[in-house]
Amino acid sequence: MLRNLTRTASPWVPAGWAATVVYLVFIGLPVLGILVRAAQQSDFAASLTSSLTVQALQLSLVTSTISMGVVVVLGTPLALLLARSNATGLKAVDVLVELPIVLPPVVAGVAMLMAFGRQGLIGPALTGLGINLPFTTVAVVFAQVFVAAPFYIRAAKLGFQSVGREYEDISQTLGVSPWATFWRVTMPLAAPSILGGLALAWARAISEFGATIMFAGNLTGRTQTMPLAILTAMETDTGSALAMSALLLAGSLAVLIALGILGRRRWEGRS
Amino acid sequence: MTAGWVRCELTNFTLETEWEAGPGEVLVLYGPSGAGKTTTLRAIAGLVRPREGHIEVGGREVYDGGAKVWVAPHQRNVGYLTQQYNLFPHLTVGGNIRYGLSRQAAPEQRARVESLVGALQLEGMEGRRTWELSGGQQQRVALARALATNPAALLLDEPFSSLDAELRRAIRGEIRAILAQTNIPVILVTHDREEALALGDTVQVIDEGKTLDRGEPLRMLGQPGQGRVARLVGVENVLPMRVEDRYPQDGTMVCAMRDEPPPGQPRLRLEVPLSDFEIGSRLRVGIRASDVILAGEQLVSSSARNQLAGRVTGVEMRPPGYEVTLECSGVPFRCHITGRSLTEMAIRPGLELWAVFKASSCFMVGEEPAVGDRERDSPGTGDQILG
Repeated sequence: MLRNLTRTASPWVPAGWAATVVYLVFIGLPVLGILVRAAQQSDFAASLTSSLTVQALQLSLVTSTISMGVVVVLGTPLALLLARSNATGLKAVDVLVELPIVLPPVVAGVAMLMAFGRQGLIGPALTGLGINLPFTTVAVVFAQVFVAAPFYIRAAKLGFQSVGREYEDISQTLGVSPWATFWRVTMPLAAPSILGGLALAWARAISEFGATIMFAGNLTGRTQTMPLAILTAMETDTGSALAMSALLLAGSLAVLIALGILGRRRWEGRS
Repeated sequence: MTAGWVRCELTNFTLETEWEAGPGEVLVLYGPSGAGKTTTLRAIAGLVRPREGHIEVGGREVYDGGAKVWVAPHQRNVGYLTQQYNLFPHLTVGGNIRYGLSRQAAPEQRARVESLVGALQLEGMEGRRTWELSGGQQQRVALARALATNPAALLLDEPFSSLDAELRRAIRGEIRAILAQTNIPVILVTHDREEALALGDTVQVIDEGKTLDRGEPLRMLGQPGQGRVARLVGVENVLPMRVEDRYPQDGTMVCAMRDEPPPGQPRLRLEVPLSDFEIGSRLRVGIRASDVILAGEQLVSSSARNQLAGRVTGVEMRPPGYEVTLECSGVPFRCHITGRSLTEMAIRPGLELWAVFKASSCFMVGEEPAVGDRERDSPGTGDQILG
C-alpha cells in the first residue's frame, strides 16, 4: 500500500497507458492475425508438413546452427580482445564490427557479391580454386554470419567487460592457470550476456532475408530458408506461408522468454 | 618466509621497496594511499611484473630480473586477499573455499574445507550464495579460500577496509588468532594506524614508493620517528626549522623557521627539548594539534615555553571536536579543541588568538643525521634489510 502512496501521480501516467494500449493493439493485431488465420485453416497440419515447409525449416535450422558455430568460434576471442585490450586500432575495429547492424541487409548481399561473386574482388581467384560461393548453401551461411555476428560480439564484449579482473587475479593466486581461469571464472560470469547475445544472433540469422536473396538466391532445398519460402508461398500457397509464419512466431517468443530468464541471472551487483 | 626487493615504474614515481617476513610473522606495509603498497603485493603475487628485482616465496625464487627467473602467478603458491574479497558469485561458499583444491581428491577436499569452515566459524554456510553473507562472513570465506591451498605466504590488501569500525575490531582479533595458528608469513597492507598496531609484528612505512623506516609497531607508530614518518602517523604540525641556540642548563634549545616570515612579522621561534642537534642543523619540529592550547590573550605568568600570536584562518569540524587553523608569522598552525571551547571562546576566522604549548610537546626529526641518529639512518637502500 505504502508504495502507491509515496509518489504523487504524474500526468504522464494516463498518457503512458493510452500509448501502451495503442502500441499493444498495433503489435498484437498482426500477431493475432497470423494465429487466427492459421488456426482457421482446415489443413494446417498438412501445410506444416508440406515438402516446401519441411525443406525450408530444415535448411534454416542447419544453416543457422552452422552460422552460430562460426559466430561463436570467431566472435568469442574477438569479443575478449575488444573487452580487454587497449591496443591502437581496436577502437576502429569496435565500430566496424557493428556496421552490419545498421547496414541494410540487401546492401550486405550486394557487398558480398562484389567480394565473393563471379565478378567480385576475390571471386575469380576462388573460381580458379574451384570454389563457387554465390547461390549455394554456403552463401546462406555467409549471409547469416555477416548480419548476425555483431549481435553476439557486442553482447559477449559487454559480458567480458563486466567480469572484474580481480576475480581472475584471485583465481590465479589459488593455483589455477590462466586458461583454466578463463573456463572456471570468466566464462561462467560472462555467460548470461554471452547466451543472451547468442539468442539474439540466432534470431537474426533465422530471420535473415535481404542478404540471402541477393547473395544466395531462392533455390528450394539449397538456399530457400524459411523467410524466403514464406515469400514464395504467399504467391501460390497462403496456407504454407501462414504455417511457417506461425512457426517462426513461436520461435521468436521462445527467444524472448529465454532472454528474460537469462536477464535475471546477472551476477554483477549481487556480490 | 618471503623476502625480496622490486623496482616498478608507477605513474608518478618509481616504486623501490624491499621486504622480509619470516614464518608466522605479520609484516605491515603502512603508508598513505598510492604509496605503492598494493603494487608491492601484486608484484609478490606475480600479478604485475617489476622492472627489476628479486622475489622469494617460501624459500623459492619466483622472480629475478637479472637471472630472468619468472614463475607465473598460479605457480607461486601465494594467498591473496583483496579489499573487496572478490568471492566468486557463481559459486557457493563451499565452492569458493574448494576452488583452489581442484587437483586434490574429493575426500581430501572435503576434509580441508571442513577444517577451514570450523576454524573460521562458517558452519552450515557451505551451501549459501556469497551475496547472502554479511561483510564479516564474506571476509572469513575469502580468508578460508586463501588459506585452503596452504600458501607459502599470505598477502592481505586492506582486508578490513570495507567493514564498519566495530566489526573491523572484532574480526581483527579473530584473524590475529587464526594467523597465530598458522606458520605462514603474512604481509598486510594498510593505511590504518590502529590496524597496523593491532596486527603487525613489524611495521614498514612506505611513502611515494620508498621505504622510510622499518621496526616494531610501537616504535614506528606510537612515537613519531623520522620526519616523513612523523607526518605520516598523523602529526598535524611539522615545521622546517634550524637550531639557533642551545641551553644545556635548561635542557632546551631554540629553533627558528628556515623560511623568511611575511614582511613586518617576526620569525617564528620555538623552544624545544635539548637534543644532539648542533647549532645550525636543519631539522623538522613536530607538534600534535591536540597538544596545543588556544588562549584569548598572552599567558603572562605560565610555565608553557611556547606562546605564538596568530590569527584564525579556518575552523573545520573534526569529530568529536574542531580543528582551528591559526596563522602565526605566515605559518599555518593546526590546533584541536572541543566544540564547547569553540562556542565559549566564540572562535571564528579573523579572531586573534595565542597558541600555547610546552617545550616537551615538541619532538624533533633530523634532516641531516644528528650525532646519535647516524646508525639507524638512511633507510630504504635495501641492502641493510636484505642483509
